[in-house]
Amino acid sequence: MTAPFRTIGQPVSKIDGVELVTGRARYTADLQFPGTLQAVARRAGFAAGLLHRLDVEEARRSPGVVLVLTPADLPGPNLIGILPPFDQPLLAGPEIRHEGDSLALVVAETQDQAEAAASLIVAEIEPFPPLLDPEEAMRPEARKIHPNGNLTFAKQLLKGDVEAGFSLAEVIVEDTYRTSVQDHAYLEPEAVLAVPESDGRLTVYASCQSPFHLRGHIAANTGLPASRVKVVQPFVGGSFGGKDDAVTEMGSLAGAAALKLGRPVRIVHSRRDSFLGSHARHAAIIHLKTGALRDGTIVARQAEILLDGGAYASESPFVVMKALIHVAGPYKIPHLRVDCRAVYTNKRQAGAMRGFGVPQVTFASESQIDALARELSFDPWELRRRNALTVGEANATGQVFQESVGLIQTLELVKVEGEWPACWEKAHAGSNPRFKRGVGLAAMMQGISNGAEGVDVVGASVQVSQDGSVLVGLGLTELGQGSRTAMAQIAAEILGVRLEKISVRQVDTDTVHDSGPTVASRTTTVGGKAVWMAAQAVRTSLLEMAGLMFKAPAEAIELGEDLAYLRENQEAQIPLAQVATAAYWTGFPLMNLAFSRAPDAQYDHETHQGQIYIAYNYGAHLMEVEVDTWTGKVRVLRHLASHDVGKVINPLGVEGQVEGAALMGLGFAHLEEVLQENGKVRNANFADYQIPSFAERLPTRFLAVEEATPNGPFGAKGIGEPPLAGTAAAFANAVSDALGISFTRLPITPQRILEALEG
Amino acid sequence: MSEINTRGSTSGGTDFKSVPIAFRLNGRPVSACIDGGLRALDLLREGFGLTGVKEGCGRGECGACTILLDGRPVNACLLLAAKLEGCEVLTIEGMASPDGTLHPLQAAFLKAGAVQCGFCTPGMVLAAKSLLDARPNPNEEEIARALSGNFCRCTGYTKIIKAVHLAAEEMRR
Repeated sequence: MTAPFRTIGQPVSKIDGVELVTGRARYTADLQFPGTLQAVARRAGFAAGLLHRLDVEEARRSPGVVLVLTPADLPGPNLIGILPPFDQPLLAGPEIRHEGDSLALVVAETQDQAEAAASLIVAEIEPFPPLLDPEEAMRPEARKIHPNGNLTFAKQLLKGDVEAGFSLAEVIVEDTYRTSVQDHAYLEPEAVLAVPESDGRLTVYASCQSPFHLRGHIAANTGLPASRVKVVQPFVGGSFGGKDDAVTEMGSLAGAAALKLGRPVRIVHSRRDSFLGSHARHAAIIHLKTGALRDGTIVARQAEILLDGGAYASESPFVVMKALIHVAGPYKIPHLRVDCRAVYTNKRQAGAMRGFGVPQVTFASESQIDALARELSFDPWELRRRNALTVGEANATGQVFQESVGLIQTLELVKVEGEWPACWEKAHAGSNPRFKRGVGLAAMMQGISNGAEGVDVVGASVQVSQDGSVLVGLGLTELGQGSRTAMAQIAAEILGVRLEKISVRQVDTDTVHDSGPTVASRTTTVGGKAVWMAAQAVRTSLLEMAGLMFKAPAEAIELGEDLAYLRENQEAQIPLAQVATAAYWTGFPLMNLAFSRAPDAQYDHETHQGQIYIAYNYGAHLMEVEVDTWTGKVRVLRHLASHDVGKVINPLGVEGQVEGAALMGLGFAHLEEVLQENGKVRNANFADYQIPSFAERLPTRFLAVEEATPNGPFGAKGIGEPPLAGTAAAFANAVSDALGISFTRLPITPQRILEALEG
Repeated sequence: MSEINTRGSTSGGTDFKSVPIAFRLNGRPVSACIDGGLRALDLLREGFGLTGVKEGCGRGECGACTILLDGRPVNACLLLAAKLEGCEVLTIEGMASPDGTLHPLQAAFLKAGAVQCGFCTPGMVLAAKSLLDARPNPNEEEIARALSGNFCRCTGYTKIIKAVHLAAEEMRR
């Protein structure tokens, strides 16, 4: 490609934006099919117990009801999950493991009728005292929530010799950090619509994140071969890791009901259903110990991480791995020992949520770096800089990158732009007894791609029509994050067409390759690489055809602005549509299906040493706050967020990801906590569960660092998740700095601030 | 005339109670026979196919179902459909010109990157329209206050405020 780029790096509006601002975009609950039935699940209502009897007779006779689905009516295994052996029933019983367990599905002509009938179901449950504390659940005498006990997953990372490391240490800091359950709180609640087709197949429209994951489970649970199930992803109103387990359950149940009845069946969650019947972020207890020399060199770190996994395994195994690997932070620490466990409790299950274990451990790690700085009387920025990972240095898994490690650049940027340490001195110069100011720093890294966690292959198709327009298909999904636009930019750049000529279709499982889940900030990196490859193949056809037309070698030709032209004589042009038409009639392939496969990971799953991710996003944050010591209210005065994104594909999209993740990070650190009493969620609505509103918006300023990775298109690395962890950690450090109190538990709510001030 | 009885379906229910109503919807006169307990949200979505009106919480907490009732933003999930009688109702579907030209607010939301998943966008755009119709040149705090009943989980809000500023500028021309 010849620089400068035409589209890459330019701020472009979403290519599907007109549909979104006009109301034409159809989300799952907006779709209409004749004769559609509505379905509602009856939930257990107890956190733990034994279901002795389920009487659905009265519900069956209720007006409008056409079917009440119970476990006996399900043709398949009645199980879903992420990793085998699957442990989550679609319809639970006799063991009740959390309040939101579904017991039966009521299908009726209308939503009101389904809801009325669901309340008529008699469920005789013998309640057990629920196991709610993960430490309690780990005791040997604790009741077993699943037959194999309460340990969901455990991993240990060993690097160097941690005892030897600590014996070198001149200073040791140690503490326990806690984080709480955060809800995804996407504005569109989960929804599915299952439509039995006349050819014996089943189509399931689903507000989902990973359509192929749904397809597999729906097939297994309805007894259909997977190839007879089509999952279509309409517009999705946010996901953030959330639209997986619940939608799999809903899709399987709606599919089973639709096949039984021969009519479309829709399930749309209420907000309360969304809080009770979907997964959330793992609450964590992190015991952390760090040893350093007097000169600030960190020599050893030891961590024990306990993740509250709730009732089912969900993504716990992978969150365990991510937390395990990231608790060392973006630092070169020679000696490490990390133990990370996820534990079953009688709560709604925890699984994937934006950040995936990294926000929890980054908060702990960065709080401890500040504690170490205080202990050493060291400037906290200098301490981070001194230990920062660089090119050629081994990270926690011993992986060494020879490029694309931009941590120090991000640190330097927030230092210069934030005027550190002058800003700190200024913040503490005031003597207002009520309003206290403080500045917090955080450095972090986050692995991009599934890496050694799992297979990492993405399929993409690019086809050019004779009129020069382009259709792109990708196996990863648009969830609002703008991936469709980024893919269009990549294809446009390579094929030399204007962005308006590109369509990126919605995902359905019939037309794209199973590309695994849309997770791990990998869409732009791994997915974009697949689009890049497919577009390159079609570009070759276009260049060869244009060469024949120009009677020039293909290397002499460039594509751009919907034209093919000679590099040396740009006046010599042929419209790309003519080239494409000629290529079609000459027999050059105008479509390509490419698979990008992340390089094979060399990884030891016993010690967790080796190459795990294809790249890391690195970041540094600086936040200045003012705390009102009378009310506990915190005002964020300044927030600098610098990230090494490899290459910015769309500045508008990247800023949007950074600003959105940052505010979700503020919610995690300051406002949001799913409250449970005796295993029952107390705040399953937006009045009592506080997501950030306009009033809490952040003055986030994004500072880009572009250290290109060879593993992403044009060098790009994902950005969807990392700023969440950086913001949360910087917030905690800023509030701690303002008040001179070390907060070790998130969220740091106004109430907790007041309690801490009262001592 | 649409016959809408209850949530989630346009046919097949029992206990049909019929209340005739007439109002103006996106500039055109419409009428319907409805169940007295029907929500405005369901009438607009199910009866008139205006699915740009979104349900995010059903309790008036998130603002995704915001419509303009005689120019004022209201949560359609908390409003009885019968209350639409005689009113001028605007939904997102009525914002663009009949020829498809986007309203300056719609164009500004796109340009500023104020749209991610888009689920809050219809309500957000309508709430902003109500503000700009009353105050053509609002400052940042006025925008934040006017839109404070609308949640967005994707954008962090900053770009939404920028979009409203952009649109206000365009509309004052």
